[in-house]
Amino acid sequence: MDKPKKPVPIVNDWARPFWEAARQNKLTVQKCDDCGKHIFYPRIACPHCASDNIRWVEASGKGTVYSYTVVENNAPSAFIGDMPYVVAVVKLEEGVQMLSNIVGCDPHRVRCDMPVEVVFEQLDDEFTLPKFKPVSA
Amino acid sequence: MSSLRGKIAIVGIGEVPTGRFPERAAIYHAIESARQAIKDSGIDKNLIDFVMPTAALFSPQFNTELVTCRIAEELGLKNAKTNCQIFAGGSSGSCFFKLGGSAIESGIAKYVLCVHADRLGTGVTAQGGIDLFSTAGISAEWEVPYGQHYSSIAALTTMRYQYETGCTDEHMAAVCVSNRKWAELNPNAVFRKPLTIEDVLASKVLSTPLRAKQSNMLFDGGSAFILTSAERAKDITDRPVYFLGEGSRVTHFVFSQERDITRFGWAEAGKDAFLEAGLTPNDIDVAEIYDSYPIYQIITMEELGFCDRGQAGELHLAGDTWPGGRLPTTTNGGMLSQGHTGAGGGVALVVEAARQLMGKAGARQVPGARFAVETGTGGTYMDAHVTILGTEIP
Repeated sequence: MDKPKKPVPIVNDWARPFWEAARQNKLTVQKCDDCGKHIFYPRIACPHCASDNIRWVEASGKGTVYSYTVVENNAPSAFIGDMPYVVAVVKLEEGVQMLSNIVGCDPHRVRCDMPVEVVFEQLDDEFTLPKFKPVSA
Repeated sequence: MSSLRGKIAIVGIGEVPTGRFPERAAIYHAIESARQAIKDSGIDKNLIDFVMPTAALFSPQFNTELVTCRIAEELGLKNAKTNCQIFAGGSSGSCFFKLGGSAIESGIAKYVLCVHADRLGTGVTAQGGIDLFSTAGISAEWEVPYGQHYSSIAALTTMRYQYETGCTDEHMAAVCVSNRKWAELNPNAVFRKPLTIEDVLASKVLSTPLRAKQSNMLFDGGSAFILTSAERAKDITDRPVYFLGEGSRVTHFVFSQERDITRFGWAEAGKDAFLEAGLTPNDIDVAEIYDSYPIYQIITMEELGFCDRGQAGELHLAGDTWPGGRLPTTTNGGMLSQGHTGAGGGVALVVEAARQLMGKAGARQVPGARFAVETGTGGTYMDAHVTILGTEIP
């Protein structure tokens, strides 16, 4: 039986620079030049102050695990072969949050507030997903 | 807050059993629930001038039938002026009050039939259900590619909540046990066999720390109620269920953008609703809390002020929320035990709140129930809706 293909991100056109940077193993977010806040996920205008004056900046790639779970059963079809896998909400140093997977460690070693750093996993020719691994001591 | 306090009322309720009925067309659940609600109200069906279905998820074809007036035609409603779908996922039941109530108060409608039906138990396969709920309401760009789905979402909330409060797996399991005790008394519920904390903790892990018996399951079902003005309600029935207050907050679309996944917007929504009603949590006789997973019942009760943060698990362990307890909670068994029917999980809680206040809850009747709170939340807990109902206008 064919394994179901992994879902690729359905990209909004203004978010394309994020995915192009990820393909080059760079994690980027937007920053508002008027209110100074970082923005993720990508927007057409600043969601804090509504300014159009936003630009792309490279993120530090460092953050902490806000929350996580180890998926052990009843995963979506395309992810059944990956179990157990870790889904986590990561808070970046820049103050923004994103969903990701924690990789490169025993899934059951992940903890809330654990420091993590970005790694990149190629999904296909077009997409590379930013994921996170525990910061090595 | 609204200006609808004491202006509108539920005058009839209907509900079909939740379950797996492969031989039953989806429309049956809608028209039988609606027929029961009309009969319960005692009004002539032709008085209904606004049909307000919510959405069904199992089939776009069926949903289109709900949009295109099939219910009005099946029931032969001769004076229906408007058929318009209201959909906010699990908040749809709460939104019926806002939109249906406003239509009544403005004079657009006199009698609104609010109705839900879906066939998520037999209309999709088990894996199909998981796959549907790994995309529906989940960001296709920012979350679907990471294997996010509703169990992992509930697990993310549970994990952080337990980390912050020290609440245990036993506390989470106690919610399932409490809701099951009510379902044992509910002929329309799917799961009616006694359940213990040990049973819950022995079930397989889905996404840590969430276990299979802490997850809702999808079924076929339907429920309905009729709204009218409080003035008309007094002439129709001696037990109208008055709308007393509402509050709500929208907090996110993408789950991982929520700044506090252990609180959401419940505190502010609850404050507005109680303020409008002129009541406090101490006045509430029965709490119908949206319980798609135990963590959400716990968070909602704490944020609404029924107990301090970190204490709702204890209420469920100690029996306060059980039949005969101090704070009867989710008295139809909720989505965890009556079964989840999509948008109908929340509609069923509205119907149950009304049933308790009308004194029609049979073996699970909370004696002398005067005031009830009902909560709903849609999508990935994107919003928080609180509604307060009563047998009188305080």
